[in-house]
Amino acid sequence: METLMAILEELRPDVDFANEKSLVTGGVFDSFDIISLVSQLNDEFDITIKPANLLPENFNSAEAILSLIEKLQDEE
Amino acid sequence: MASEIFDWIRHSAGLRGDRTIYESDEGSLTFGDLDIFSKAVATWVAKHSDIERPIAVMTSRSVYTPACCMGVARAGCFYAPMDVDMPRARLEQVMSVAAPELLIVDRDHLEIAESIAEDCTVALMEDIMKGAADEELVAEREASVTESSPIYMIFTSGSTGKPKGVLTSHRALIGYLDGLNEVISLGEDDVLGNQASFDYIAAIRDMYLPLMTGARTVIIPKNEFAMPGDLFRTLNSHGVTTLCWSCAGIEIPAKLGGFEEGRPEHLRTVVFSGSVISNKYLRIWQENLPEVTFINQYGPTEATASCTYYVLREVVTDDTVIPIGRPYKHYQILLLSADSDNGTYEKTPDGEIGEICVKGPCLATGYYRSQEQTDKVFMQNPLNPDYPEIIYLTGDLGHIGEDGELYFHGRKDRQIKHMGHRVELTEIEAYALSIDGVNECASLYDKSRELIYIFYAGTATAREITLSFRTNMPAFMVPRRLVCLAEMPHLPNGKIAMSDLRKMMG
Repeated sequence: METLMAILEELRPDVDFANEKSLVTGGVFDSFDIISLVSQLNDEFDITIKPANLLPENFNSAEAILSLIEKLQDEE
Repeated sequence: MASEIFDWIRHSAGLRGDRTIYESDEGSLTFGDLDIFSKAVATWVAKHSDIERPIAVMTSRSVYTPACCMGVARAGCFYAPMDVDMPRARLEQVMSVAAPELLIVDRDHLEIAESIAEDCTVALMEDIMKGAADEELVAEREASVTESSPIYMIFTSGSTGKPKGVLTSHRALIGYLDGLNEVISLGEDDVLGNQASFDYIAAIRDMYLPLMTGARTVIIPKNEFAMPGDLFRTLNSHGVTTLCWSCAGIEIPAKLGGFEEGRPEHLRTVVFSGSVISNKYLRIWQENLPEVTFINQYGPTEATASCTYYVLREVVTDDTVIPIGRPYKHYQILLLSADSDNGTYEKTPDGEIGEICVKGPCLATGYYRSQEQTDKVFMQNPLNPDYPEIIYLTGDLGHIGEDGELYFHGRKDRQIKHMGHRVELTEIEAYALSIDGVNECASLYDKSRELIYIFYAGTATAREITLSFRTNMPAFMVPRRLVCLAEMPHLPNGKIAMSDLRKMMG
């Protein structure tokens, strides 16, 4: 979680990731944020986020992103 | 001559009053509704404003926004659209340039509207749309303006640190739409997928093409652009046939692997503009949608959205250089070369690179309340000593190839295209310097990675600077990489050594 939080905070220092629950549906992340985030997560956690994983429910909160990472790590 | 746009609204209400013109997740509007609502707005505006005055329109990206804008136009005024997603400070800047006497806002944004409106009456869109229409008054107002009266004022990044209001006439708008539609020939069965915010020049296609052709426009939620699966599902469920999107809008779904999961099934035409598209991602679209016509458009807001176009004939490779093509009907292009010694211009020799200049009836009227900036770029054609003829100097460089097509060669100044928007790096620097603890700075753009850099000297932290940008500037103007230096590198003449900084961009 710490690594993820560091990535998120560097990406968007203006967002309160501990409490924000609608990063995508609330329009906090723009498409540009998603693109940088996906490539950073892929590199950092050695995973491959597939287009099918790009669903609002997987990116709406820091916890959701973390569980997506864990799910993908288990599959590897 | 009165504006054809008013005739379009009336005629399409008579011809296809029950058909949908705009739809979104939240609802839809028919051609008949558009006539009724815009008339109600026009009635209210006519009672509160003289003709040819700016009226700010600050609403969400909803089906009602175009009706509101057209209501302003039917009252003989021009609308200044404001995106409610912009940070407050940006909205204040826009208000200070437009200085409108009236601001129309939707209920969700009443509070912010009231807090930024100084010497300005704020009206609720929902209320005035419900008001009674005064047919006679609206008809009188429509007849009181001409084709050269302004219809809208759209803001672009200004190198002085303040946005510029580009004022455009009815005639220019109609001319552009006519030129574009001659190429894409929309009909009643076509469905446009709207990507752009209504405060952005690109949205004029989605707003007005339906009126001209009987097509309809679907407003796609912004967050779907980050989720290609959702995006393609929306395009398919609404039967979208035509996209007029920024290059960034086309690239993102391909970049995120959207075509690995599905594809838009009903597309016929894809028009892209705003920057130089990445061949890699365009090719993914072309390979997955071989039956679709792809069109590259070029042009600045000052030439009313786009002035040239090129229809792609084959799938691009990494080496393909896509021309920006030939002028649309109602536009002419010329290339000029400046003689820096005496400030004169001459025609660029055949095949060489010169500054792209535009003439014809579709040029913007100029910048609002800024004669000085207007005169710098809207000027007498230096090649025509015989009669008055205004041309617009785009600041873009180009050459005409042996194939007769125009090719783009970048900017002659420090303007960049980022996330589909035009950004002046000097505006970013001017803002950064206004932040406490930033003593000196320079902004550069890493084009291949699409990153805006700020190099700075001072005591402010990167986080403080980002936060300040995020609260005050549009998202596309927020630098993504901040580099704090003990001292900025300088040239002997005291200027910042940009080439040294460029080497530092990782």
